[in-house]
Amino acid sequence: MATKVTTPGKKNLQTTLEIGKAIRAYYEGVKEAKSAGKPVIWSYGLVPREIFHAADAPVLYLEHLPLMIGAKQLSGRYIQLAEEEGFSRDVCAFHRCFLGCAVAKDRDPYLEKLFVSPDLIIASNLPCMSESKSFLYAADHHNCPYYFLDAPINTWGKDIPDYAIEYFAGQLQGAIDSMEEHGFKVDMDKLKESINLTKKMMGLWNEIDNCRKTVPTPMSTVDGITAAYPLIQLPGTQLGVTLFERLLEELKEKVEKKQGVIEDEKLRLMWFGVPPFYNMGLFNYVEKYGAVVVKSMVEYIAGGAFDPSKMDPKKPLESLAYKALVDIVNPTYPNMVDFIVKAVEEFKIDGLIGVVKRSCGLLPGYMRLVKDAVYKDKGIPTSIFDLDGLDIREYDDVTSKANLDSFVESLLASKRRQ
Amino acid sequence: MGTLETMKDIFDNPNKIIEEWKKDGRKVVGHRCMYVPEEIIHAAGMLPYPTFGTPEPIKKADSYFQPCACEFVRNLFDLALDKKFGFLDSMVLCNTCDAVRHLYNMWDTYVDSVPCYMVNNPQKMYDESGFKFYRMELEKFKKLMEDLSGNKITDESLKKSIELYDETRKLLKELNDLRKRDIPAISGSEFLVTSMASMLMPKEKANPLLRKLIDEVKNREIKNADGPRILLTGSIIDNPTLIELVEDMGGVVAVDDLCTSAKYFWYTTKPNNDPMDAIVRFNLERTLCACAHPSEDRYDYLQELIREFNVDGIIYFNIKYCHPFVYESAIFRKKLEEEVPTLTLEVDHSLSGLGQLKTRVQAFIEML
Ligand code: SF4
Ligand code: SF4
Ligand code: SF4
Repeated sequence: MATKVTTPGKKNLQTTLEIGKAIRAYYEGVKEAKSAGKPVIWSYGLVPREIFHAADAPVLYLEHLPLMIGAKQLSGRYIQLAEEEGFSRDVCAFHRCFLGCAVAKDRDPYLEKLFVSPDLIIASNLPCMSESKSFLYAADHHNCPYYFLDAPINTWGKDIPDYAIEYFAGQLQGAIDSMEEHGFKVDMDKLKESINLTKKMMGLWNEIDNCRKTVPTPMSTVDGITAAYPLIQLPGTQLGVTLFERLLEELKEKVEKKQGVIEDEKLRLMWFGVPPFYNMGLFNYVEKYGAVVVKSMVEYIAGGAFDPSKMDPKKPLESLAYKALVDIVNPTYPNMVDFIVKAVEEFKIDGLIGVVKRSCGLLPGYMRLVKDAVYKDKGIPTSIFDLDGLDIREYDDVTSKANLDSFVESLLASKRRQ
Repeated sequence: MGTLETMKDIFDNPNKIIEEWKKDGRKVVGHRCMYVPEEIIHAAGMLPYPTFGTPEPIKKADSYFQPCACEFVRNLFDLALDKKFGFLDSMVLCNTCDAVRHLYNMWDTYVDSVPCYMVNNPQKMYDESGFKFYRMELEKFKKLMEDLSGNKITDESLKKSIELYDETRKLLKELNDLRKRDIPAISGSEFLVTSMASMLMPKEKANPLLRKLIDEVKNREIKNADGPRILLTGSIIDNPTLIELVEDMGGVVAVDDLCTSAKYFWYTTKPNNDPMDAIVRFNLERTLCACAHPSEDRYDYLQELIREFNVDGIIYFNIKYCHPFVYESAIFRKKLEEEVPTLTLEVDHSLSGLGQLKTRVQAFIEML
């Protein structure tokens, strides 16, 4: 029988605690704005956040709210509500959770603090089908207008052709027009400036990554996932830059003192797939073996792959279009696979953990490709098992830990043989 | 042999078509969606060949895909790994659902014998900037087809191909209209077989056969036509078994909205002096699939089918993990139910668990 023993992740860094505070403050701000009569946007998919910040728009993000609910182990109830509305278990748990929050008649106090109804929905099919469908139900339910941005998939690799950039930049302009039509004012000067801030943030993130590449690593993915919040939700803002500057400072100090997350670092792991948001302590679980999960693939969403030199503040929409389309999560596969192979090498990873969230249309499809590529290129093994990082009802603690035990033990055994 | 039997024979033995086509050294290009512009392939002198699955259990593909990928795609990939598509000179996919995007990833990585190409079509309809983007993509695709075939595609040849394919669509629609009658002239399962055979065949052959068939059946009345009239929709159905099941339970499958049937022929290309532009607009001015936007358009189209075919009930057959239709059926359910009763069923592409399905379909038909 499945047991449900969950623990929060153990963070090691002061700055990630500060980021946690910034997240709470953000949601309080959204709630206040709504109470003050300001319109609120719901955003689905990886719509470049810079356009929202340039309008000072209060936004609820599909990628974030369910994760907050999940971290408080409340996701099951809301996912269930969406299932009662006819959404089968086959479709994304994030979307079911968000839909459940949207239709819930009474929300528990934690969600109540975060939840506001939408006045406009801005959705994009980047990176998956769920993003482009589930919002339609919410729009209907809340009788709310929406704008849909169509993102071409990436069939070009690292060089996105001008006609694709032009198309997505046009979609962004459409989103801006729609925002303006519904009471938001997008400040184009601020948008231009945000490109510089995004570039700066990315430069800092790369430096943060460089610190994490050192052995022992001063930061595991437990902090990394919280630290990715500014990367995903605050690009183009001074707050994002400031938080990363502080984080970098803290990490540099730890690197200098050779202070690792664990004392005797024996194994370095990477996580591919949705993290267990309701049980982040699972990352710490492997530490008893001297193993540390150094990095997660989700930390690269919305920002991991772009070349900052291609971002031009004079052309903000084109720059954002480029950044969005080249993102590793935008199918098809080459950027994702190359990026993971490169990360495995640079972070000196000994083993990759691939978790399959069955209701995700995107990430499980990469498992075999990534596994083969990292093995072929780097000789690094991957362990793949089922774990739905959001739907706590699906979680089986005993099996998940047994999977981790056997993988880590086999990695240690092979290290001993070397 | 009557023409219906001829169609069934073609459906059962598509290899014959391939062999005949390849006799003169001509090439065959496989694809998997009505959004792949067959006319461009044809204008290059090649046979566009829609790939379908088989109900056989999956053997090799499950070690590549996780079980949560739609079974239809896993089945196609299994056939590809098994070299069952070895006769193809190329495979073409287009940007539709997550599963097809992964089929491209897998095919491109693991199937060496048949190269795979992805047409990057927008998912948003009626958007002028999307037309421009798609035109660029189609020009690339046209060049690829020219290189593959060694034939230049001229405006003239493309116009002729468009005409030919539109003729097939018109004829299929004419035949489909015979299902509007109180007692349809052709059953749902017969129609699916005919439609799929016509999709598989060179259109030069399909069109005269369809004309003959319309002539043969236009005064016909199917047996067992007193049951409720059903609209079938949902994921791809590439085998008449599910339709036969509904018919066996007493339903009359009056119309379907499947990509092996109505979706394929519902619209024809609008006249346009520039044939590439005609194709761009043809593909981006119809929201026939749940993958495309705006979905309101698809809802209107279902309404049209309900009205025109006098539908009493709707059945969604959704392949497990087929996200576009699993979402759509949940999104449309309440609204549709205000019009006609709607049943949503989850099916395996391999058609396992037919017994349980039968019970649910039977209960639904009795309720109607
Ligand atoms: S990528 Fe997967 S987890 Fe993320 S929204 Fe899409 S289906 Fe859900
Ligand atoms: S269901 Fe849609 S995407 Fe799939 S083959 Fe049919 S038309 Fe194409
Ligand atoms: S059945 Fe559904 S998920 Fe599968 S390929 Fe067709 S549209 Fe995609």
